[in-house]
Amino acid sequence: MRGANALLGASGLAAFLALGEAVPRLGVVDEDYFPPTSRIADAFATELADEAFWTALGDTLTGWALGLVIAVTAGILAGVLISVTPYLREATASTIEFLRPIPSVALIPLAVLLYGTELRSVLLLVVYASFWQVLVQVMYGVQDVDPVAEETARSYGLGTWARIRHVLWPTALPYVMTGVRLAAAVALILAVTAELVIGAPGLGARIAVAQTSQAVPEMYALVVVTGLLGLLINVGARTVERRALAWHQSVRGEVAV
Amino acid sequence: MRRLLIGLTAGAVLAAATACGSSDSSGSDDKDKASGGTTTIKVGVIPIVDVAPMYLGEKKGFYSKRGIKLSLTSAQGGAAIVPGVVADQFDFGFSNTTSLLIARSKNVPVKAVANGVASTGKQKADFAELAVKKGSPLKSAKDVEGKKVAVNTLNNICDTSVNESVRKDGGDPSEVKFVEMPFDQMPAALAGGQVDAACVVEPALATIKSQGGTSIASLFVDVSPDLTVAMYFTSERYAQKNPGMVKKFQEATAESLEYADSHPEEVREIITTYTKIPDTLLEQLTLPRWPAEPDRASIERLAELGQQDGLFDKAPDLDKLLP
Repeated sequence: MRGANALLGASGLAAFLALGEAVPRLGVVDEDYFPPTSRIADAFATELADEAFWTALGDTLTGWALGLVIAVTAGILAGVLISVTPYLREATASTIEFLRPIPSVALIPLAVLLYGTELRSVLLLVVYASFWQVLVQVMYGVQDVDPVAEETARSYGLGTWARIRHVLWPTALPYVMTGVRLAAAVALILAVTAELVIGAPGLGARIAVAQTSQAVPEMYALVVVTGLLGLLINVGARTVERRALAWHQSVRGEVAV
Repeated sequence: MRRLLIGLTAGAVLAAATACGSSDSSGSDDKDKASGGTTTIKVGVIPIVDVAPMYLGEKKGFYSKRGIKLSLTSAQGGAAIVPGVVADQFDFGFSNTTSLLIARSKNVPVKAVANGVASTGKQKADFAELAVKKGSPLKSAKDVEGKKVAVNTLNNICDTSVNESVRKDGGDPSEVKFVEMPFDQMPAALAGGQVDAACVVEPALATIKSQGGTSIASLFVDVSPDLTVAMYFTSERYAQKNPGMVKKFQEATAESLEYADSHPEEVREIITTYTKIPDTLLEQLTLPRWPAEPDRASIERLAELGQQDGLFDKAPDLDKLLP
């Protein structure tokens, strides 16, 4: 089953690459502005041999990972705290709904004023965008706690901390993992965008330099790198999710089929 | 529940207390900027041909012999550089002259300290041109009346200069439709017919020419043959606090500009270290001129045109802006 899926995935990608080769070759779009796959592959190989590329990759991953860790930690703590405190939930509900849809990139001028083109500017945008993904999922997860289980735990005299540990957390964990997976993807997008627009060091800044230099195949090669990175991050997040939720019926069910 | 709340409150108070503690202790670490007689200064630049003298000057040691270590950061245009300098994220920055005039007219405390880059002064052979694609019916600046012209930023140096070219050619600039897009997208937009002409700089200009496109006007030359297109600047606060450093930066930059102006081959070489301009384009680039000093008369002209085009209500005070 798995092998067949992987095969299908690979053939889909192969067809896409072939299309990328054919469209400019057939003259549907101008080769100068959309180079065929083979030329992008050439540029990709050149990038891999360049030390500066690996530094840029490292910068982007640093921004991504730090931002994600901060956002996930803050999201889980705030989510649980808000959910178990009715007053806080009432007080923050409308504020959260007001702040959540604000696009992170709209905060770029603020980030530049505060931190210039440093890593901290990237972190500001990454954390702002991915924090909400986690927070909202945690809040949904806490709402999903079975009232009977909660009451049972209370009647057995479990304290607040024990109830969070044994009732709330296991119920919320699948939601938290979904939030983390979403946040991981959003964090990568925002890290690259911030570098691209602000000029903070990383893959995004490298894409921007390729653009201003009229180095079209190099630019697409770097875009491909960010795509691959997104793919890897998603696969990684799914693996973590499966491990963390191995006991949960949604994952156990998958294995049984 | 109550115990949890007490615990959390205690935690929050503790966190606030430690935060205060750390900000107290970080108040006096400004000294580590200067070490061993050299001072690191942060300069916000753009990854384009124009700032080559800075990279070249650093390599040649024009800065280090004055005790300056340059930390060059490539930001993406004025959107990051002007606020970066004003908010002290950068000590110096690079910006086009009109942007600085606009900033000054709004009382943003910027102060130009050194020349940046200047027009070559040669018709149809400048580093910025009003370009059209191969086979375009547009032959001179007047022909862009009623047509779409791409500029990198609306209400800035590109459109005021295009207006001047059109006016000098006997046309009506108010008829021109300006469209905003980044320089690097202009070749494709011209080829695809989304715009009819473009105010474009190198290396995008070389791309257009390599595809058979031509220039129909040299817009910067039309404003003034010696037009100071961009300058290095700092904030008024930095200039007041560090007059010695500003003076050293001015001297080193003037030396770098002069050196770059007389060594075009070294300029082309240094460009490959901070851009990805392909070799095929590199040889075709029209390099700008790098005079050591800004040309005041040309900046006055640019200010007049800006006022005429409504970029600012009253002409900015050049004495406050210029070094």
